[in-house]
Amino acid sequence: MNVSSLLKGPRTLFLRVTLIFFAGLVAAQYLTFYATMAERNEVQTTFMISNIQREIASAVALLDRVPAAERPDWVPRLARRNYGFILGPGVGGEAPDQKLSAEIGTAIEQSIGQRYPVVVNAVPGAGEHLQAHLKLSDGAPLTIDIRPVAKMPLSTWLPLVLGVQFVLLAVCSWIAVSLATRPLNRLAHAAETLGPDMTATRLRETGPTEVVRAAKAFNAMQDRIRMYMKERIQILAAISHDLQTPITRMRIRTDLLDDEAERARFQQDLLEMESLVREGVAYGRTLHGTAEAPRRIDPDALLESLVSDYEDAGANVMLSGGIGVPIVTRPVALRRILANLLDNAIKFSGAGELAAEVSEDRRIAISVIDRGPGIPADQLDAVFQPFFRLDTSREHGRSGNGLGLAIAKQLALAMNATLELKNREGGGLEARLVLEKPF
Amino acid sequence: MEKVEHVLIVDDDRDIRELIGAYLQKNGARVSKASGGREMWAVLATEPPDIIVLDITLPGENGLALCRELRAGQWRTIPILMLTALSDETDRVVGLEVGADDYLIKPFAVRELLARIRAILRRARMVPQGFERSEAPPFLLFGDWKLDTVGRHLIDCEGTMVALSGAEYRLLRVFVDHPQRVLTRDQLLSLTQGRQTEPFDRSIDLLVSRLRQRLNDGAKDPRYIKTLRNEGYVFSAAVTPQEGNQ
Repeated sequence: MNVSSLLKGPRTLFLRVTLIFFAGLVAAQYLTFYATMAERNEVQTTFMISNIQREIASAVALLDRVPAAERPDWVPRLARRNYGFILGPGVGGEAPDQKLSAEIGTAIEQSIGQRYPVVVNAVPGAGEHLQAHLKLSDGAPLTIDIRPVAKMPLSTWLPLVLGVQFVLLAVCSWIAVSLATRPLNRLAHAAETLGPDMTATRLRETGPTEVVRAAKAFNAMQDRIRMYMKERIQILAAISHDLQTPITRMRIRTDLLDDEAERARFQQDLLEMESLVREGVAYGRTLHGTAEAPRRIDPDALLESLVSDYEDAGANVMLSGGIGVPIVTRPVALRRILANLLDNAIKFSGAGELAAEVSEDRRIAISVIDRGPGIPADQLDAVFQPFFRLDTSREHGRSGNGLGLAIAKQLALAMNATLELKNREGGGLEARLVLEKPF
Repeated sequence: MEKVEHVLIVDDDRDIRELIGAYLQKNGARVSKASGGREMWAVLATEPPDIIVLDITLPGENGLALCRELRAGQWRTIPILMLTALSDETDRVVGLEVGADDYLIKPFAVRELLARIRAILRRARMVPQGFERSEAPPFLLFGDWKLDTVGRHLIDCEGTMVALSGAEYRLLRVFVDHPQRVLTRDQLLSLTQGRQTEPFDRSIDLLVSRLRQRLNDGAKDPRYIKTLRNEGYVFSAAVTPQEGNQ
């Protein structure tokens, strides 16, 4: 992870929301804790000062009454956790500068200052330490030595409780956020699987109302898309299908024509119409979903028989390489893809070559290569669209209906293969079909 | 045609019926026409044809159903050529399953139709007299192999599909349909030459060696297709038909 991505923060919505949620809860928790502690300290200080005030007044009064000889016995008994008495002048110093010391000083002056003149000063050193100096009624000096303790010690179980709270917050934010983001993931998955075969997974219409609403809307959208696609294909298939009978009639009529040249021209036109109709019907069927079940086949026999069929029909087709192991695939679809690619190669270059190979990561690549004009680089993807035609093929009057590649692409998608086109070095086109782990 | 053959054309499109009929008549056939099942049965009752050209899409009872009925009844020996308007694998496969001898996809050239009719009739005449012409079973077993006559491919003993080219299938089919019989090169050529549009430049010898390769059959000591010097070939393995899908 580099600096800029660190600055941008985590990529997933899940992490982002979790972080915000958790940070917010921790901050709120800290504020509460801080406020409670401040309140506690204030109460404690007030309580301590009023205690000191009362106790010191009675202790000083007691020491004043006791004969000077007995005072040393009393001093330890009158000492408390945060103050004690010294029979003597004590240590001098500056006036107390700390807030708490000053408050204590003032409190002592208020309680006994009217009877005894009191001087309060801070004692230099570590921690808060102050002394109040006064003279008892017999003139003996008395020093009150005070070490105010500002805070009561925290209980040992408190950090543990805080830790448990943090964990609780983290777990709760994780659960809440994953609850909120899971439907999003499901939605994304459903959208991704809405493939060309129109067999998307439907979202479950359960859960919180917002999720149910989104799921319903998404399912309805899927239905609409499926309906539009189906309609489009049905129209294409219906037109193609209904054209077959009139074309058949015309075909037979032309066969019966006496004019040789005229007959050849008619038949050429009819052949073009015929192939368009055939491809139209085939395209409609490929999109309707592939009913063909995958099965174990000998791929080399398939390639060799395909090449033989072309050779028998007088076409110039070659085969190089081989696969050597049986694979599991859809043979009719595979044959159709390769035949469409070979037809194109023959159409544009007069010849085609099939090249098969197995790569190390158990992929099988079957390429159809030619030395034809190739395809401009910016149109390599566009030629897969139905009825797309290159300008060059129009100019040269080459017949083609632009469905062959579309059908090949659809079938490849349906059988989990990839089909890509690229121009070859030295001219020509390579159509590469890659089957992932078919054995 | 060698002698005047009687062809029955069953198609609901009047123009197609008339046009095909005219062409076949011009080429020496006798033609009857029917627009559907009812008319077809009527022709069969009065003068049974030598071959039926049957369209798959007919109003009422369709071609597939008629073909099934023909194959189940007294007319089971009459060869059937299916015409299908759908350029789809499944329809032709079903057509062959219900017992059609061949199929032709619309639109077709009438010369192609004539060539197919002739090929089917030639094959029909090869069937020995007195043999009941049985419906083609979906699978034919021989040696280590199973021939799928619907999908037109081989299946090895491990269930792997081995594809055949059109010419290879036709040659193998002639062999398995005539096991233990000497077939000359000329016979093989005329029996396998189904389509006129598919020029058959290769010699039968080359095709046999290709087929042997598919069957893993050595030329020196062949298990299936044996060469008889100066005579032709013999398919020496026993062939058993198998019904069903396995």
